[in-house]
Amino acid sequence: MELQYSREGIYVAAIDLWLDPQNSQGAAWISHAHSDHARHYSRTVIGTGISLELYRMRWPAKEEWGQELRVLEYGEEMEWRGARLRCIPAGHILGAAQLLIEYGGERLVYTGDIKKKAPLCGRETEVVECDHLIVESTFGLPVYRFLTREQAREEIAGFARECLEEGATPVFLGYPLGRGQEIVGALTGAGIRTAVHGAIAKYIPVYERAGVEFGDWEPYEARDLKGKALVVVPGMRRQLEATGVDVRVAYVSGWARVANARLRAGAEKLIAYSDHAGYDELLELVEGTKARRVDVVHGYTEVFAGILRERGIEAEAPAGARGRASEEEAE
Amino acid sequence: MSATMDGLAGVLERVANTSSRKRKVGLLAEWMRGLGEADLVRAVRFLSGEPVAGAGDRKLSVGHAVVREAAVAVTGVSVEMFRMCHREVGDSSETVGLLREGGAAGVEVRLEEAEQAYLRLFQERRTARKVELLVGELGRMRPLAVKYFLKVITGNFRVGLQKKLVEEALAKATGRAGEEVKGASNRSGDLGLVARAARRGELAEVEAKLFHPLEFMLAKPLDEVGDVGEAGQWLVEDKYDGIRSQVHFEQGKVRIYTRGLEDTTAAFPELVEEFERVGGRGVVDGEVLAWRDERALNFTVLQQRLARKKVDAGVRESVPVVFVAYDLLYRDGELLLDRAIGERRGRLEEMGLRVSPQRRLGAVGEIEELFAAARGRGNEGLLLKREGSVYQAGKRSGDWLKVKRAYGTLDVVVTAAEQGSGRRATMLSDYTFAVRQGERFVNVGKAYSGLTDEEIRELTKVFRGIARERYGRVTVVEPRVVLEVAFDGVQKSPRHKSGYALRFPRIVRWRRDKSAEEADGIERVEELYARSLA
Repeated sequence: MELQYSREGIYVAAIDLWLDPQNSQGAAWISHAHSDHARHYSRTVIGTGISLELYRMRWPAKEEWGQELRVLEYGEEMEWRGARLRCIPAGHILGAAQLLIEYGGERLVYTGDIKKKAPLCGRETEVVECDHLIVESTFGLPVYRFLTREQAREEIAGFARECLEEGATPVFLGYPLGRGQEIVGALTGAGIRTAVHGAIAKYIPVYERAGVEFGDWEPYEARDLKGKALVVVPGMRRQLEATGVDVRVAYVSGWARVANARLRAGAEKLIAYSDHAGYDELLELVEGTKARRVDVVHGYTEVFAGILRERGIEAEAPAGARGRASEEEAE
Repeated sequence: MSATMDGLAGVLERVANTSSRKRKVGLLAEWMRGLGEADLVRAVRFLSGEPVAGAGDRKLSVGHAVVREAAVAVTGVSVEMFRMCHREVGDSSETVGLLREGGAAGVEVRLEEAEQAYLRLFQERRTARKVELLVGELGRMRPLAVKYFLKVITGNFRVGLQKKLVEEALAKATGRAGEEVKGASNRSGDLGLVARAARRGELAEVEAKLFHPLEFMLAKPLDEVGDVGEAGQWLVEDKYDGIRSQVHFEQGKVRIYTRGLEDTTAAFPELVEEFERVGGRGVVDGEVLAWRDERALNFTVLQQRLARKKVDAGVRESVPVVFVAYDLLYRDGELLLDRAIGERRGRLEEMGLRVSPQRRLGAVGEIEELFAAARGRGNEGLLLKREGSVYQAGKRSGDWLKVKRAYGTLDVVVTAAEQGSGRRATMLSDYTFAVRQGERFVNVGKAYSGLTDEEIRELTKVFRGIARERYGRVTVVEPRVVLEVAFDGVQKSPRHKSGYALRFPRIVRWRRDKSAEEADGIERVEELYARSLA
């Protein structure tokens, strides 16, 4: 299948479908609801029910646009302009999916953002065989290897407990969608009193409807910061530090794998857990698909494509594809 | 049970993951308490970056190239890939440790085995063999142990204030007073020896040794003349604008150390000649000054000497230097730190060196006049030293007060450098700087360089070497370079992490003689701010 890469996204011309376009197009597949993937108002938007619900919360409907949202749940298939589309779990955030496109006897998989290890919230990634793979490489360097969800849960709860025992307030920085809820789940699941910032809390009902269970949590309130863990958005760190309350900040992220993240994030505790695949996971994923041809988009594209070529896979970093993206959605 | 590198690595990882100094000390002390004497000595040596006992000035000679070569061999990545990862991580030990996780699980390695490995590396002079040895060690250790095994070699733990932390933890682990441990460490310069003595309760017997820099006693700034109290208790000297230095000498051997505890002996051959003629053994505290016609020359003149690799007759002629002595810390087997200032001064004066003139303060009102006179002589200001006081090594003590310009200067650390424009477009000429807050550095301001192009060019090179990250025109650098900045006031500001901003900061000079640890702390900024409200 011929693919066109540009700053606007990836376009599959044969079936007139855009993959995670950056502006409004005719028809778009959205791999998940982070705003660097699901944005603007394409005429037809295809995604999992959860992705579409979250997308709608962030990009409210405009009647005059007459948008059509088409749900394609995990394991389901649909016909699309002579192709068969199939939705496959991607384990990046709740609702994240890969898309398998079968057309003209060829199988193409677009991973979107993906991890291979089981996530704290949401479905585990399934690896499907294909001929042609489009994969991300946010952490495509061999220094990046991440904690399992069990290890992350332990680290998160352990740090919170230690702080609380010492009379300090543990603060976890999490992006509004994905990381934030995962941290809340890990904390409340361990029975730790947790206050959640509104920007993160507003998506919790979506998670609950999807079957994710949270223990008790309370809304974050600026005047009451003691005796509980706080899960807030990263921009609030300085504000909290300025309150005079003994706050201790943990940074849960793939970037936290490297000690200099401490300075970068202004955190004292680093927990290297990501919603993206680490280096080994990426290799495992690519090899698992048995794809003969691999396009690497996002992150260390050139480097990772080079690594795949050394392993005998025909891989490239398509010119025009978006370069190194941040792990977190830009909000 | 004998201790392992893995145990050490585990505790250091926990130390890194907390910002509280107390907790860092507690974690380290708890681990040290469980060690036998031999392991305690080893651990402390490792932590002070001196894994081979008795190596003295001789280095392990395992440089970055050796580490990289070994890393490539052990981890199976290409040189190019290693470089890329190193750039991302910023620290070679950590990079190797992280990459090593892709390989065999590894086995536990006892501290004793690690010590033998360091010794073999030390004794081996051929680079190729060093690499081989290192490959063997890194290949069998566990990844986290690899990281810290290498950090011992590179002497770089990046947890900040490492030595003091280790001293405190050692005191806590052995139940000795912190002052006792610090004192023994300061006079002997050998933490391994101190560890053994601490465990055995023999700290008092640890003897002073020459040829390792003792910590300097520092002065507190005097902000208001009225704060001095009784005038008669103060001895007054000029405060010089040179390089604070400590000279160690013993029968023809001479070493000069700066406050950054660096050895600058080679830059000042005439001072070496002078001290070669002094009999006996001694440690003298004083100032190196560029000097002509019986007065000090500008500090920037002196810096030209420091920058030179080779000091020939021409340089000695164009920038003549002298050493002005003002304290005596050790003489012929006797450590004098605990003697009163009068006694130290008396013995110093017997040595025939150039000594800083000293007089007793008659009245508080004289300070202004004396200050003006000192400035008139081209010196920076005054130092007031309390009669009867002892030499408090490593302390900023109220027994010494410095009188500088009306509104202060601060010694700050550069945290980021920005590309200039126009003539300075290829250089990093605008600096964001910070003061210490515990073990972190918090920004207090940004200044466009008041330095010469030559200095900026040199600093640019330094910054590129310690760059952490680039954001467009801004390069975030490791906090290492110390600048002295002058300013017109301090105000509260949400703009910088410190919560304060300096008004009209300008760079006075590059303090090559100071390390980041010696930069001013946030307390000093707070103090200045409080004073501005009064």
